[in-house]
Amino acid sequence: MTTVINANVSSQKSWFKWVRDNLFSSVAGTIQTFAFAALVVVVLRWLLGVAFAEKNDWTAVATNMRLLVSYNYPLSQFIRIWVAAGVLLVCAAASLGAWRFDPALTVKRMARTFYSVAVVAALCALLMPSSAPGVLVRTLWLVSTVLAIAGFAASAVASKRNNLTVSFGALLTSSVVGLLAILWFVPFGNYGVVGGSPFANPGDTVARSTKEPWTVIFTLVLFTFWASRALGTKTVAIVRSALLAFWLVGPAFLIFVVLRDPAFDWQRVWAVDVPLAAGFAFGGGLLVYLLAKPTRSSLARLVGVALSAFAILNWVAGFFGWYGMLQKVRISMLLLAILVLILPAFAGSQSKRLRIAVAWGGFILVLHWLITAINTPSTLVISAPPFLGGFTLTFAISYYVVLASFPLGVLLALARTSDLPLFRMMSTAYIEVFRGVPLITILFLFTVMLPLFLPRGMAVSDLAAVFAGYSIFSAAYLAENVRGGLQSVRQGQYEAANALGLTVFQRTLLIVLPQGLRVSIPNLVGQGIATLKETSLIAIIGGFDLLRIANSTIPNQPQFLGQKRPGLLFIAMVYFILAYTMSKSSQRLERRLDAGRM
Amino acid sequence: MHQRPPIWRNVAVLKWLAQFAVLFTVLGLFWLLASEAQENLQRRGIPAGYNWLSGPANFQLGEGIQTVDSPERRLTMSRALWVGMVNTLRVAAIGIVLSTILGVFIGVSRLSKNFIANRFASAFVETMRNIPLLVQILFWFVILGSLAPLAADSGPIPGWLIVSQKGISIPRVFLADGFYQFVAMLVVFAVPLWFIRRTLKRRQDDLGGNQRVTSTTVAYLSVSTLVAWFLNPVMGFLGGVLDSVATAWNAIPAQIIRGLFGVLIIWFAGARIRSLLNSRRTPVGFAKLTDNDWFQMLFTAFAAGVAALVVVRFRPGITTWFVESVGNFWSFLGAKFGDGRGAQPIDAMLPTLTEGRFINISNTGLTMSVFFASLLFGLVFYTSSYIAEVVRGGILAVPRGQSEAALALGFTRGQMLRKVVLPQAFRVIMPPLGNQYLNITKNTSLGIAVGFSEIVQVGQTVYNKNSQTLAVFSIYIAFFLLCSLSISAVVNTINRRLAIVER
Repeated sequence: MTTVINANVSSQKSWFKWVRDNLFSSVAGTIQTFAFAALVVVVLRWLLGVAFAEKNDWTAVATNMRLLVSYNYPLSQFIRIWVAAGVLLVCAAASLGAWRFDPALTVKRMARTFYSVAVVAALCALLMPSSAPGVLVRTLWLVSTVLAIAGFAASAVASKRNNLTVSFGALLTSSVVGLLAILWFVPFGNYGVVGGSPFANPGDTVARSTKEPWTVIFTLVLFTFWASRALGTKTVAIVRSALLAFWLVGPAFLIFVVLRDPAFDWQRVWAVDVPLAAGFAFGGGLLVYLLAKPTRSSLARLVGVALSAFAILNWVAGFFGWYGMLQKVRISMLLLAILVLILPAFAGSQSKRLRIAVAWGGFILVLHWLITAINTPSTLVISAPPFLGGFTLTFAISYYVVLASFPLGVLLALARTSDLPLFRMMSTAYIEVFRGVPLITILFLFTVMLPLFLPRGMAVSDLAAVFAGYSIFSAAYLAENVRGGLQSVRQGQYEAANALGLTVFQRTLLIVLPQGLRVSIPNLVGQGIATLKETSLIAIIGGFDLLRIANSTIPNQPQFLGQKRPGLLFIAMVYFILAYTMSKSSQRLERRLDAGRM
Repeated sequence: MHQRPPIWRNVAVLKWLAQFAVLFTVLGLFWLLASEAQENLQRRGIPAGYNWLSGPANFQLGEGIQTVDSPERRLTMSRALWVGMVNTLRVAAIGIVLSTILGVFIGVSRLSKNFIANRFASAFVETMRNIPLLVQILFWFVILGSLAPLAADSGPIPGWLIVSQKGISIPRVFLADGFYQFVAMLVVFAVPLWFIRRTLKRRQDDLGGNQRVTSTTVAYLSVSTLVAWFLNPVMGFLGGVLDSVATAWNAIPAQIIRGLFGVLIIWFAGARIRSLLNSRRTPVGFAKLTDNDWFQMLFTAFAAGVAALVVVRFRPGITTWFVESVGNFWSFLGAKFGDGRGAQPIDAMLPTLTEGRFINISNTGLTMSVFFASLLFGLVFYTSSYIAEVVRGGILAVPRGQSEAALALGFTRGQMLRKVVLPQAFRVIMPPLGNQYLNITKNTSLGIAVGFSEIVQVGQTVYNKNSQTLAVFSIYIAFFLLCSLSISAVVNTINRRLAIVER
């Protein structure tokens, strides 16, 4: 808080005094100012020169925008991508509204932002190389002037009423309307590829097939935001839990929507997958419900041992090929056995038993759906190069890796902090080995060597191998982050849990993990950012991610031979925007968590 | 006295049973995978083991201490991998130095009161760390690839600094023949210095005033460096000494060393058990040992016994290898000294261009290829943004009262920084800084994207040639683990020396 107050005080000083105090306070300060000003000018000039050199053809990026977003995705099926993106954005807006997201945006701060952007734009316009398009320079000057005037107006208003703030809703609405206006009226030029040959209409606005879906999505975003904000306290609780559930599995489902084969085999799903899932959900739920009675704990142990013996037998049999069985039956059987084994720790009243049973059922349904989604001959059948690529691939890989490495990482962290020496040793060895070697060797290891390790007749696609290797690698780092959080849980918490007579499972699940994970959230977000950035290594393995497209696909097109710079700068910008937004929001979160702590 | 629970409900027994069950499951899984891999390899006709390492490489390397096979210097597979490792370490070492300098500069600038300085530093940090390293490396590769081609008068400073598509060339400073003798002589000179400094420091503490500790040290060091520079051949006798040490070492029969190893392992286990027993000692006497304690002691003893048996009986090769490499090390050191070696410790050469139709840079100067440079630039700019944050965090972690107190005591600003703020900040900075150094070392593997011949790229070339994926990956893992272990060992040592001594 103190920094905010200081900032307010300092901005109240006059302009002149500010310049004197901050830039020319002493001889050394003056020298520093000039040296850094020169550095800024040189670096900016060089960067602009690199970006807008004569030989750079930025239409290479504009024309290949579809490639960069979704690679070879067929145009006829493109509606799925729009739906997926739309649902994601709408749910994000709904979440913002439902959780009453409303940061205090003071007009004063906005004025400062306007001023600094205006200064940067003017600097860029001044230092633009002569080869840059004139319209760009003119636009920069225009933006700079408009923002300077807006900043002046804002600070004039703010000087009268000191604590004037702008609500987030107003800001969102105005920026969405502004974006739509830009989309419909600014002639960016209309570029694209039709039937393999690129076309360019420089004076035109963006293609209708782009701006219409965006208009619909943005309108819905605004609508859901305001609607979810207007909800009453009772309904908002329901909406919040629905949204939480969506964020847990929604993206995976949307990725499935995008990837599903148009000729999807629904018959097999109804005949095999649905009955299996229902059987496990209800049968397992019933079993769990019956065995979770405190008086039946010894029976539960017995059943658990029997079930796990059977489950292990299934896996061994699968490995040696004694008898066939669907993989998901094996997995669910093993999970059920583990649950029944630890069930006595959770035994309790009837409502509790019911809750456990329902949780199991829901979990099994989601799990079975996920396994089905992964295993269906999903990816659209396209001749020639793999169709999954571009931003979609980057997003899908980083999402699934974070999702998969989280439970594994938490398990490893628990093992590393446990007082059982062999578990500690194994988990330490795992973590140190995977943290000691670079990701690229792990990715090579999995793509090149996995076929060697697998039994005969079993094959894994390259993408699945990358995904598995990356998740296993990422889990080691995640475990270290979680361990930091777990170690911050005070000893008294353990002692209190023991004094209450909680079992080890209960203590871990109910006392230690919630507190430890809360502390490690900022680090986990950092881990997520690192995961997103490092998906670029897929380009080395041969996946068509953003980097591969910018660095080798576009420069190999006959129209844009050797045009690497625009593509690389563009994807650098994309990565920057994503990572920067994430890190800023994680810093906000950190401050909020800090404020909540005693 | 309560009754002991039956064995199947004893928590200690159950805990250990569960642990062993998981351990054996994991080991069994490994064994299964390994046997599957072996079978697969056999089916494809790929021999197991590392014998291929001494075979010829049959390929060229992009750059490094040896790039091609020649009759007088064979390029074997192991040699090629070694060249890759040296390349990796080169980039890592230079990257560590440069990114530390840049990172400290940026980190300190970000704390500066000067508006332009701290905004520039913030922009640098945010930009560099939010763009993936691989994108940055490829960006530099594109930028450096569009430099001007090499010409006779190339370079900002022809003859000294040449920048072209062929790379960046600077004068080469190298260790000449007399270097090792020079260093040995400096070590000899350092002994009296230690005594002199101790005396002066004591006198400073007793008498106060300025007893010129620093200036005396500087003067002594410069004089002794000057003397050592010219008189270093005197140390040539060390060569003979080291040679005789090597002979003496080789004269020890391997059985004795082997036995010593066995004894050492047993002794180590005994020490662990004793320390456990000591921790159970209370003022009133010995505490009753729990089942868990018994398990731990038994397990330690068992593991030590197995390890000792392996070293002494089943794998005598381990000891033989150890004895041989230590002996080789002594004779290697001996060869570095010796009479008749040139007297000059350090020498330098300017980069020169080859004559002929196609101008090239000969290797008299130090040339950084475009591949090397793009990898290095990417690493340095990316990592320095992280180091800047580490440095900033470390300085901010020193409470403000410390610097205020120092100023109140009449320290100058420089003294305050040197004696109060920086030592405390350093303690916070060191562990994450070590982590960043590790990251640089690991991230050199991205050189594969620009075709720089570092270990991963060379390894890939190797297994593409002979399909020895398993062996190559084991080499990768061993190499990178060795790197990370040595870096963390250095960092831990420094950390221990810096740690606050708690009373």
